[in-house]
Amino acid sequence: MLKTMNQRIGLILVILAGSYLLLSYQLPSYPYTSVDADVIPNGLGWLLILLAILLYFSRTKETEAEKQKRAIPRKELLVLAAVFAMIFLYIFLFEMIGFIIMTGLFIYFCSWFLGYDKWKTNLIVSILFPLTLYGIFVYALGIVLPRGILPF
Amino acid sequence: MEAFQGLLSGFQVALSWEGIMFVLIGVVVGTLIGMMPGLGPISAIAIMIPITYGMDPAPALVMMAGVYYGAVFGGSTSSILLNAPGVAGTVATSFDGYPMAQKGQAGKALAIAAVASFIGGTVSVVLLMLLAPALSSVAISFGPPAYFALMLMGLTAISSLSDGSTLKALISAVAGFMVVTIGIDPQTGTQRFTFGSVNLLDGFDFLIIALGLFAVAEVCMLVLNRRNNSLSDSQKLGSLKLSKSDLKEMSGPVSRQSFVGFILGVLPGAGATISSFISYIFEKKIAKKPEEFGKGSIKGIAAPESSNNAATSGAFVPLLSLGIPGSGTTAVMLGAFLVLGVQPGPMLMVERPEIFWGIIASMYLGNVFLLILNLPLIPYLAKILAIPRPMLISLVIMFSLVGVYSISFNVFDLYMLLIFGAIGFFMRIFSFPAPPFILAFILGGMMEQAFRQSMTISNGNLSIFVTSPLPLTLIIISLLSFLVPVLLGLRKKKVEV
Amino acid sequence: MKKISMTLLLMLSAVALAACNSDNANGDSNGDGGDFTPTKPIEMVAPAGAGGGWDTTAREVAKVFGETGILEENMAVINKEGGGGAIAWAYIHGKNDSPYNLFVSSPPLMFVPLNGQSQYGHEDFTPLANVIADYGAFAVREDAEWDDLNDLFDDMKEDPESVTVIGVSAPGSMDHIQFIRIAKAAGVDVTKIKYVSEQEGGTLTALLNGSVDVYSTGVGETVEQVRAGNIKVLGITAEERLEGEVLSDFPTAMEQGIDETFVNWRGFFGPPNMDQAAVDYYEAKFKELSDSEEFDEVRKKYGWNEMYMDSEEYKTFLDEEKKEIETLLDELGLGN
Repeated sequence: MLKTMNQRIGLILVILAGSYLLLSYQLPSYPYTSVDADVIPNGLGWLLILLAILLYFSRTKETEAEKQKRAIPRKELLVLAAVFAMIFLYIFLFEMIGFIIMTGLFIYFCSWFLGYDKWKTNLIVSILFPLTLYGIFVYALGIVLPRGILPF
Repeated sequence: MEAFQGLLSGFQVALSWEGIMFVLIGVVVGTLIGMMPGLGPISAIAIMIPITYGMDPAPALVMMAGVYYGAVFGGSTSSILLNAPGVAGTVATSFDGYPMAQKGQAGKALAIAAVASFIGGTVSVVLLMLLAPALSSVAISFGPPAYFALMLMGLTAISSLSDGSTLKALISAVAGFMVVTIGIDPQTGTQRFTFGSVNLLDGFDFLIIALGLFAVAEVCMLVLNRRNNSLSDSQKLGSLKLSKSDLKEMSGPVSRQSFVGFILGVLPGAGATISSFISYIFEKKIAKKPEEFGKGSIKGIAAPESSNNAATSGAFVPLLSLGIPGSGTTAVMLGAFLVLGVQPGPMLMVERPEIFWGIIASMYLGNVFLLILNLPLIPYLAKILAIPRPMLISLVIMFSLVGVYSISFNVFDLYMLLIFGAIGFFMRIFSFPAPPFILAFILGGMMEQAFRQSMTISNGNLSIFVTSPLPLTLIIISLLSFLVPVLLGLRKKKVEV
Repeated sequence: MKKISMTLLLMLSAVALAACNSDNANGDSNGDGGDFTPTKPIEMVAPAGAGGGWDTTAREVAKVFGETGILEENMAVINKEGGGGAIAWAYIHGKNDSPYNLFVSSPPLMFVPLNGQSQYGHEDFTPLANVIADYGAFAVREDAEWDDLNDLFDDMKEDPESVTVIGVSAPGSMDHIQFIRIAKAAGVDVTKIKYVSEQEGGTLTALLNGSVDVYSTGVGETVEQVRAGNIKVLGITAEERLEGEVLSDFPTAMEQGIDETFVNWRGFFGPPNMDQAAVDYYEAKFKELSDSEEFDEVRKKYGWNEMYMDSEEYKTFLDEEKKEIETLLDELGLGN
């Protein structure tokens, strides 16, 4: 039943559209309008279901180029997941630890993790870059970035 | 005659040393802020407002205008180099600008963008000068039904924004449309799909979607391909030489789209974003080799760039001559006027001609400055791509995060950026095109509101869309542009069978 | 050692208490700020982006405070945009009892929570002082058939479907409710009013090109178009006529026999449980600001009206106002 990629994606889309519709049908009604807040979302939800069904039954085969796009080695996916985890950590600690320290750490470790081995250059960039950017944003542009645990 | 005298006084303001200096400051600050991934004209103007407190209004506004179009001018840089559009108007530029830069021709791509921007900006200042007073009636000719039809016309272009399956393009578009329905519905005040979270009340900012689907998703691809760093030949990378045939190729799109951009810029609510998309699609439809689009076509960069800069000057028509801000950016601009004690509107031209015409006159100068400033910077900017991949990846991620943070100062939005980055990545590997998603996100919201406004006005009668000529014409055009390719496609298939 | 410090602390608090008491007894003698004086920069939050009404008010106030030296410490304006103010209010609410976190607000501080879009309303904060007032205006095209509010409302009573009102805010918020309030006092069936919200800057466009009939907005937004002869103002929501060129020509709803007003008040608040001494301090400072010549200039520049209320008055005013809006929303079936 779920042989092709299109069928699998189609099924996921139907589930997504279904939950969207479920929420949409629960929207409270507003008495003073001819087209209420739920009309367009309901239409979109059903439209997506229709398109997903079409996708499910579509007989277009994936081209080689398309297949190749998803042929990603498992190890590479793990690398990507690790980068996402690093971003997550960066965001999580962004306001607590502050922009300068977190950005420095992020640039250093992310670059290093992805295979940048000139540690001296990396270190210099990781220190100077956040400081410069912080200076520009906070002092020149007046955009306040989280100071965190640093005193300035 | 009066207008001529006004214009003279305008040039006096613009060409005084004070005027020249503030234009220069404005465009330099604007273009530099615009170049930063994630920072666009809105942030640029907002940043500058506190600085103008207490300044003399004429030079201050000349500077603010410079900041505005300077930021639009510089905005294409991050789109082209990093696939990280900082403002909606440059999303279309990334469709061809980024592929061209990835082919090792970053300098060329930036040069095309700069020249196209310059011409678009200058053409539209000429139009602005000649037509501003006359065009104010055009600016108010669009009511909700006409806006609905205009957005519809933009949306019918979805299929032409994808190379592969039309079905997948449509699915992307519907998904983008769904995302924009999140938040408080303006027509009823109903909270839609907010799960009771304060953070979702305003829906998603454009930047979260654009940087997620484009920049972060692209970063994912870079992570996968981090080892082949093909762009180390920085000599060629930075070369901004445009051959005669290059210039010839861009002349058509630039001359056409400067006008299209200006006209759409004049319409409140349309502006640079819609004009850049429409111009891109326009050129793709009439091109002899539409298959080149999306792969680094010169026309594909020139069209949206001339258009979005032309639209930026066009947006000054309703702002200056009617006091109507046509977009979020011009609304902030209007705030800048008010802070300086100047009320834009129909009386501005009569009572403060030196300000009205001074801003317009200064734009000539500003555009020249922008070109002179930007061209020499290109080789250095292009070298950004020679940064080793791992480092570049970290920097782009960080810039995207800071860009999003600086509009809302809300960490929640950063998580959303991450999520849309993941969505963008999956869309890529499963061949769902991102442009239809973002187009539907931008146009869909406005289209829904215009539709429902029209329906309230007409007491639920659909005939409101066909009883006046303007919406009717636009709807016919959109139907044709949607149906004709489909019908042609059917015929082709039959022939093949 | 420990004992000494304890004694000192006790003594200090006794002095503080005494000062507080004397302050309450005859506030005038010590109007200069009681026993609270800020020792670090004060953060002033504008719950919206740059360039809007809240932002402008906050920045102008901070500027006058700085230039006149009324406030010794620096006042830094910070923009916290989102949720029509809700995000900023949640942020301030988290700064419980801090005397260094102020914010500016206006009627949305009532509308947004009443529409269920913010957990916090004015009763969750410490009102410091109201400073300015703005009023609503109802405008129609210059060539419209109506010449005053009664003309318009008579037509609306006869055929409510023929008139569309436009405003920026969503239904249940300011532009909508100010119109409903006046219309109701004139005897129009408020459940039949057609209202369209336009948030992309097209309100005036829609009025001028005839898509809609009435524009409900602030007085300031209409002046320029009236002077150009594009629109006319049928009525404003102020109690008395305003001062100033053009402005003084605008008839009030009151003088047209409609006994209702609506004030777009704008004032300053602090976090919940702010110390009384700090409240007294700021109250006095805002009074001084409001009376200053420099701020008079600012008011003139933007066409704002003076409306000072001290903390107590302000609180009472807000409570009453909220009750009234709540009743109105309930009647419309929009109450949450």
